[in-house]
Amino acid sequence: MTDWNAMSDAEFRKEVRQFFEAEYPEELRHLPHRPKFAEIEHWHRKLHAKGWVAPAWPAEFGGMGLNAAKLLIFYEEQQRWGVNRGRDMGVQMVGPLIIKFGTREQKDYWLPRILSCEDIWCQGYSEPGAGSDLANLRTRAEIDGDDFVINGQKIWTTMAHDATHIFMLVRTDPDAPKKQQGISFLLAPMDQPGVDVRTITTLSGETEFCEVFFDDARTPRENLVGELNKGWTMAKALLSFERIFIGSPSLAQNALGQLESFARGRGAFDDPVFRDRFAQAALDVEDHAALYTRFADQLKRGETLGADVSMLKIWVTECFQRITELMIEAAGPDGGSIGPLQVGNVSVDVLASFYKARPTTIYGGSNEIQRNILSKAVLGLPG
Amino acid sequence: MTQTDILSSEQDDLRLLRESVRTLFERAGGSDRARQLRDAGGGFDPEMVRELAEAGVFGVAVPEDQGGLGMGLAVGGIIAEEVGRVIAPEPVVLTIGLSLGLLRRLCPDHPKMAQLIGGEISLAVAWQERGPGGAPADATCRYADGKLTGGKAWVVGATGSQGFLVVAEQDEGPVLVLAEADADGLVIDKRTQADGSSSGELSFSGTPAAELARGDAVQAALEEAVVDTTALAAAELVGLSGRAFEITLDYIKTREQFDKPIGSFQVIQHRAVDLNVMCEVAQAGVRAALVQMDSETDPKVRTPIASRAKARAVTAAKKITRDAIQLHGAVGYTDEFDIGLYLNRALVLSAWLGDDTYHRRIWFEAREAEGAAQ
Repeated sequence: MTDWNAMSDAEFRKEVRQFFEAEYPEELRHLPHRPKFAEIEHWHRKLHAKGWVAPAWPAEFGGMGLNAAKLLIFYEEQQRWGVNRGRDMGVQMVGPLIIKFGTREQKDYWLPRILSCEDIWCQGYSEPGAGSDLANLRTRAEIDGDDFVINGQKIWTTMAHDATHIFMLVRTDPDAPKKQQGISFLLAPMDQPGVDVRTITTLSGETEFCEVFFDDARTPRENLVGELNKGWTMAKALLSFERIFIGSPSLAQNALGQLESFARGRGAFDDPVFRDRFAQAALDVEDHAALYTRFADQLKRGETLGADVSMLKIWVTECFQRITELMIEAAGPDGGSIGPLQVGNVSVDVLASFYKARPTTIYGGSNEIQRNILSKAVLGLPG
Repeated sequence: MTQTDILSSEQDDLRLLRESVRTLFERAGGSDRARQLRDAGGGFDPEMVRELAEAGVFGVAVPEDQGGLGMGLAVGGIIAEEVGRVIAPEPVVLTIGLSLGLLRRLCPDHPKMAQLIGGEISLAVAWQERGPGGAPADATCRYADGKLTGGKAWVVGATGSQGFLVVAEQDEGPVLVLAEADADGLVIDKRTQADGSSSGELSFSGTPAAELARGDAVQAALEEAVVDTTALAAAELVGLSGRAFEITLDYIKTREQFDKPIGSFQVIQHRAVDLNVMCEVAQAGVRAALVQMDSETDPKVRTPIASRAKARAVTAAKKITRDAIQLHGAVGYTDEFDIGLYLNRALVLSAWLGDDTYHRRIWFEAREAEGAAQ
C-alpha cells in the first residue's frame, strides 16, 4: 500500500492531478447541480478501484490515510479540475464517526459498504424547529424490543430521495436537563413504510433538498453509534476539518473567473465604476486566499484549528455572493434570464451562480451563528 | 520565502526583532508618546530614532554588503506593523522604504547611508509636485549649476530632518540631489496633518544642492522605492488597525449601559467580529504581498502587489478606525481617548502614496496590461 504522506507535497499533487485529468469524465467537470448516484456511478467505480474514495480515512479501513496537508492538496486538486465530490456523505460524515466511536461489528459491516456506495447516505440533522438552533431537535427515537422506533421530521436533507440510508441526530432522552444532552446518533434504512421523502423545490428550481417524515419507522438497536445520549458531542467532534473546508476560496475563485470572462465579453470593463467593483471583489478573493493559507499552514504543522477558522467561511461566502451579484449587473437586461448566456465563446449561467451563492451564508452554521461563535470564543465578549 | 516560512521562522529571530521593537516602543510610553509629541508640536524623537537604529530597524532591507541586515521587505513589514501599533511618528517606513530605498539603489557608498542606518540623521524625500489645480502634477523643479529652482509638495518628515533628497529635472533627465535643511533659498511651508505631523511644501530659489545620481536610473529607483514604501505603509496600517481594534474590544467589554457591558449586545458583537475579520484578512493579505515582493524583481510584477497591499490596508484601516469611534460612542469623539489618535493617523497614512481607490485602479490597470501583453 502506498504511503502517500511520505511523498513530497509536489509529487503527491502531481500524482492526484494526473489521475483526475486522465480519468475524470470531461462531461462531469464543474457540474452545476448535485448528481444522482447513477449519473456519477461510472466515475465512482474508477475511484473505488483506485482506492481513493475515502482520502481521510485510515488505510486499515480502506482509506488513503492522508494527513491534513495531503488532504488539503487532494481537495484543492479535486476543486481545480471540477471533480464532483460524488455522494460523499457516507465518506465524509458517517465513516469518520463509525471509525471513531463505532463497534468492531459496525466498522466491519458499514465501512466497506460506504466505500463501494452500496449504501448511499443522507444527513438527517436539521428540523423545522431546529436549524441554527440544532440542539432544539425533536425527532424522537424510543427503544421497543430490539429496535428504535423513530417519529418526527427532518428537513433540508440533501439528496434524501436518492439515498438508501440516513444518519441522524435524534432525541432519546426528552427529560435531559440540557437540550444538548439526550441526543443520540442513529443509522436507519430509508426503504421502509415509516419513512416518507418529499423533495423541496428551491428558488433555482432544483430539487436537491428534501423533507423526510418518520412515522413509526424502525431501525435495529445495534444501529446506535457511540453511547446513548452522547450524539451531540460526537457530531461536534467531526466538524474541525469541515470548518476550514467550508471556508476554502474555490467557490469564490471559480465565480470570479466566470465574472471576468462574462464582464469582458459584455464590455462591462469600459465602465470605471464596474472596474473598481471588480477589483474590490478580486482583491477580496486574493486576500482571503492569503488568510486561508495561514490556517492551512497551521493544519500542515499539525496544529488544531481554533474557532477563529470560522472567519474564512464568513468572508468567502459573502464575497461569493457579491461576485454573483456583479455578474447580474454585468448582464444588464439579461439579469433576470434563466439558463446560460452566450458571450463570445464562453457561456455563463448568471442566475445559476447567483442562486448557488445564496444558501452558502445559511448552511454549515449561518453566518450570523458564526459571528456569535467568534464573538464569544475568539473575542471573549460576554453574554 | 513562503508565507509559511515567514510565520514559522518567526518562531526565532523574527519574533525577537518584533518583540524588541515592541518593547522599545512600549517602554517609551506606547501611544501616549505619540500624543505627547503631537502636543509638543508634531515632530518625532531623535533619541527614539537612535534606539530604533540600535535594534537594527533602518537597515533591515539594505543588503548586507551595503551595511544593512539584508532581511527584505517582509521583515521590514513586521517592523512597520509595530510602528503602526503605537502610531509612532518616527520616520521608520519613510527611511526604510524611501530615503534608504533611493540611496541603496543609486549611491550605496554615500556616507549618508551609514548615518541613516545608524539613526544619526533622517532625510525626507521630495519627489512629488503640486499642479495649478492643487492635484499632483508632472515634475518641473530644475537642477542646474548645483542649484535647485522650483517646488516640491507632500514632503513627509519635513520637520526634524537634516536634509532633503530631491528628485529634480535636468536637460539630460532626472537627477537626485541632496539639499541641507538649512540651505539658502529653501522655504518650507508646513501643512499640519490630522495626526499633528506636517506635510512640507518646499520652494527652492537657487538653493544649493549636491548631486547624488542622474539619468534614467533615478526614475527607476524612485519608482521602485515608492512601490516598496507603499507596501510598508500598508503594513504600518495593518499594525494600526490591529491595535485600534484591540482598544475598541477592551472598551466594549468594560463600558456598561442598561446594566450590561455593551459588548454583550449582539449587534455590537457582530460588528466587532466583522472588524476582527477585516483585520485578519488585511494582515494575511499584506504579509503575503510583502513576501511575494521579496521573491520578485520585475517592477511590473511588484507594482500591482504593493497596490494590492495598500488597497487592502487602507480599506481595512478606514473601516476599523471609523467604526471604532462609533463603538466608543460620544467619548470616541473626544481628544481624550486614544482611539481618535488612531483614526487621525489612519487618515494621514491612507492619503499618503495613494488610497484604496487609487491603488485598486493601479492594480487593475497593471493586470490588464499584463493580460494584453500575453
